[in-house]
Amino acid sequence: MWSNLTNLIYSAYEQFNYLPLFIEIALAFIFIAIFATLIAYGVILFRRWRGYVDEKRMAFIRPRVEEMITEQVLLNENLEKMQVAEIEFEPAALNDKIYKKEWVRQIIIDILIQYRKNFRGEVGELLRKLYLDMNLTKDSYDKMKSLKWERKIKSVVELTQMDVQISDVTILPLTNSTNPALRAAARNAYIQLSKNEPFKFFDIATEPILPWDQLELFKIITTTKDIAIPNFSRWVSYSTNKSVVSFCLKLIAHYDQQSAIPAVLDLLANKDHYFRADAINCLGKLSAEVAEERLIRIYNTQPLACQLEILKALGRIASGKHLEFLKQEFLYSSNFDIRMNAARSIIKHNTPGSRALIDELKEITHEENRLIISHCQNPLIKY
Amino acid sequence: MTSILIIEDDDIMLKAIRNILTKAGYNVLTAKDGKEAFDKIDNEQYDIVITDLMMPYANGLEVVSRVRSDSRKRHVSIIVVSSVGNEETITEAFRLGADDYLKKPIMAGELLIRIKKLIESRSHTSAKLVTKKK
Repeated sequence: MWSNLTNLIYSAYEQFNYLPLFIEIALAFIFIAIFATLIAYGVILFRRWRGYVDEKRMAFIRPRVEEMITEQVLLNENLEKMQVAEIEFEPAALNDKIYKKEWVRQIIIDILIQYRKNFRGEVGELLRKLYLDMNLTKDSYDKMKSLKWERKIKSVVELTQMDVQISDVTILPLTNSTNPALRAAARNAYIQLSKNEPFKFFDIATEPILPWDQLELFKIITTTKDIAIPNFSRWVSYSTNKSVVSFCLKLIAHYDQQSAIPAVLDLLANKDHYFRADAINCLGKLSAEVAEERLIRIYNTQPLACQLEILKALGRIASGKHLEFLKQEFLYSSNFDIRMNAARSIIKHNTPGSRALIDELKEITHEENRLIISHCQNPLIKY
Repeated sequence: MTSILIIEDDDIMLKAIRNILTKAGYNVLTAKDGKEAFDKIDNEQYDIVITDLMMPYANGLEVVSRVRSDSRKRHVSIIVVSSVGNEETITEAFRLGADDYLKKPIMAGELLIRIKKLIESRSHTSAKLVTKKK
């Protein structure tokens, strides 16, 4: 039978050589398409089979692991009697043969993390102790050595969730990885785990902190307990990474670091106007009265984005010294945004002088400007 | 025995709270989503409801409203357990009639103490009402 098949293939090959070229090309395409389809179906079948096996395994092991955690942690009688560090788990429960298998250990880690997300206090600490006593740290560290970035992220997340220290030598290079997802995970972990210098990675950051990552980092910085907050002006002055400087400006404003004002003022001479806009925004939020004169001085030489930020900053600082400047901009600027921001800043002053000025402007200005004023006076519109 | 209805879509959290409360000696009922919760709210007897906020079919705030709108369930105390920590949501939960709010991750001991306190304050209130009627 085999020889018949070989003969058939051989004769088909011989005939193939005598076929017209376009038929040969068409046949080649047909064979490639059939081959690719078969491979695709093979991959789909294999994946489905793997999924089915994984599901079976999970259904078998998950209840066992959950039961073990419930008995050893949630219902542990010693929780009320002694310190978490002194509590010993039952060796028989932890040394079950099945818990030596890698895939089972991964399931245990995943379940422990889910529990840790829901419980803190003594139960949370005991979950961590179980993780350490079962030597699951080794499994997490092993993943760090993997060449696949997804496994590295998993490792970083596991160690962070379990509050296990990662050495600077291991994690700092990851904070500057070219892979954005790995970089973000490592930075988040570094801030959460490094108690003394959580922002050390700013020093070596050459890769940008993307806007979404900034949001995530900001959330972690502002919600992590006992985090050491440094003076961010250090990076404003010396960092060559634009996104680090921009992020630090936001943090300076959030933590109201008045001592950073001189460093922020230096940025007003920067050639990059996005930088200058961020710096002006920061000065406004810091209510830096010392900056007002300089902002007015540079106003006419700035692009629109910076001019708008200057107008906003004057409203936030609200010293009342530059109401006349705001009035002129409101009355004589041809740009709608400038008039809008000037009006908002005057209203933001909320002093007898500014209120009188608003009344005066309503009298002397044209209809569109009156509309702008009443729009800006709406308390529901955030400024 | 005090009966507690736990409404939580996270299977792990549901089992964990159920185990902790059962160990503490409470009779525990569970519901995995808003639909099952409404069914149990209407047809079962319980003294305390512990509810998550974000769940399929109906959220925790709807659960609070449902319990509070039923005059037969006036004695029921409600504890909201959620990872949502913004001021508006917490205020809204209390406005609708929640008695307590716990933000995840929770402390098991704290949950037990709060349940105990709610039971005590309820029995105190009902004792006062009985005395007044007399």
